[in-house]
Amino acid sequence: MTDAVPGPTIHSPVHDRHVALGAKFAPFGGWEMPLEYPGGGVIREHTAVRTGVGVFDVSHLGKARVRGAGAAAFVNACLANDLDRIGPGQAQYTLCCDPATGGVVDDIIAYRYADDHVFLIPNAANTAEVVRRLDAAAPAGVTVTNEHTGYAIFAVQGPSSAAVLGALGLPTEHDYMSFETATLAGVELVVCRTGYTGEHGYELVVPADGAGAVWDAVLAAGDSYGILPCGLGARDTLRTEMGYALHGQDLGPDITPVQGRVGWAVGWKKPEFWGREPLVAEKEAGPRRTLRGLEAVGRAIPRPHMTVYAGDQAIGEITSGTFSPTKKVGIALALLDTAAGLEDGDVVEVDIRGRRAEMKVVKPPFVHPSVR
Amino acid sequence: MIPDDLRYTAEHEWVRGGDGNVRVGITHFAQDALGDIVYVQLPEQGAQVAAGDSFGEVESTKSVSEIYAPISGTVVGRNDKLVDEPETINADPYGEGWLVEIEPSDPAALEGLLTAEAYRALTES
Repeated sequence: MTDAVPGPTIHSPVHDRHVALGAKFAPFGGWEMPLEYPGGGVIREHTAVRTGVGVFDVSHLGKARVRGAGAAAFVNACLANDLDRIGPGQAQYTLCCDPATGGVVDDIIAYRYADDHVFLIPNAANTAEVVRRLDAAAPAGVTVTNEHTGYAIFAVQGPSSAAVLGALGLPTEHDYMSFETATLAGVELVVCRTGYTGEHGYELVVPADGAGAVWDAVLAAGDSYGILPCGLGARDTLRTEMGYALHGQDLGPDITPVQGRVGWAVGWKKPEFWGREPLVAEKEAGPRRTLRGLEAVGRAIPRPHMTVYAGDQAIGEITSGTFSPTKKVGIALALLDTAAGLEDGDVVEVDIRGRRAEMKVVKPPFVHPSVR
Repeated sequence: MIPDDLRYTAEHEWVRGGDGNVRVGITHFAQDALGDIVYVQLPEQGAQVAAGDSFGEVESTKSVSEIYAPISGTVVGRNDKLVDEPETINADPYGEGWLVEIEPSDPAALEGLLTAEAYRALTES
């Protein structure tokens, strides 16, 4: 996700709530969104999600709808994951790859409503490009609509998330990565068992004109569970602890799914998807670099773009790095050269502003996930 | 949040004068901008520092900020409690969250730093 998106800054439908709460804001893909809230802060908000419940406004995420006879088959011929692995009412993590290079144009959650109806949640900065590519390829009878500002998305995440939504009469028992439609405060919304935190959680897709009422209802119902509004700062530390890739850092046009270790989200047996040819070739030949986890041995916090060394040899670059509030140690994802032959447990060095810090190669996640 | 009895720098450090040695920390404004502080690196006791030189780092979950010596002198004390409890800076930036004590090479240098009024104008502009 890049911040350098031209055009005016866009705000969430509940921006006024964040202003009233005194949130600090930051740009995310052309949107100005809450980074953290006073009385919270990244660590308290992070901990609330790991141990209780938090609610994130992630309305900057894209929304696009593909409709018409054969819509699901069309999406399945473009995006990388096999959409036929899921049925109506289920969602899937998938990738939009470049046909020529196999690089990741975006990573996306696809909601399969029916054979003629798929809803997509791309990243904020990439929505227009994903819609452009799909629209250009769509056969007659299939429409691709950018609905980016039509909905708010609220992520209710944490061990107490089911209790909060249950108190509101919303469905909570459906399986991980599935969704149901419900009504709250007179607003029809979609409740999906998804998230980006590694905790049990839900993402609510709410029409923009009903977003304020739903946000208020969730905070009110969550009060007795100690719910905290959480900003995108905590969202980043939570997802990094899970080793979840962030597009624009760990995945991107220059980073393929094979390198980014998201080959599990590629339908290798499908006859057709964008980037199939270069990706199959790369998978067979073996990638020149792969995304690995690093954990600091001492007190050091790796940050994106820092160089990783094995001895004097530069072997790669940090793509995401932060302080893990759960483990109280620096953690990172890094693209490391396959030729370095690193095993999990090996120690490498990271150049932190001119000083070398030892980091151990580990297999993510850094913290055990509890999504189910 | 800007005590009147301290002196300040444009890099958001505060300096408390006293009986010769001065105490140095980062301001409320600086800790608020950084967010949750998780790691602090301070100069060694006895280190010679020159005004304006970077002599340490304060790092939060989201970013890192260098700290600069507000005046020239010798480091005669450091707040080692911050190694294990860096969040003290967020909780009490002007008190328990102090960083180092410096013996100034020129005690009059303190007078060259920003007054509370000047620092207030800087952070409100």
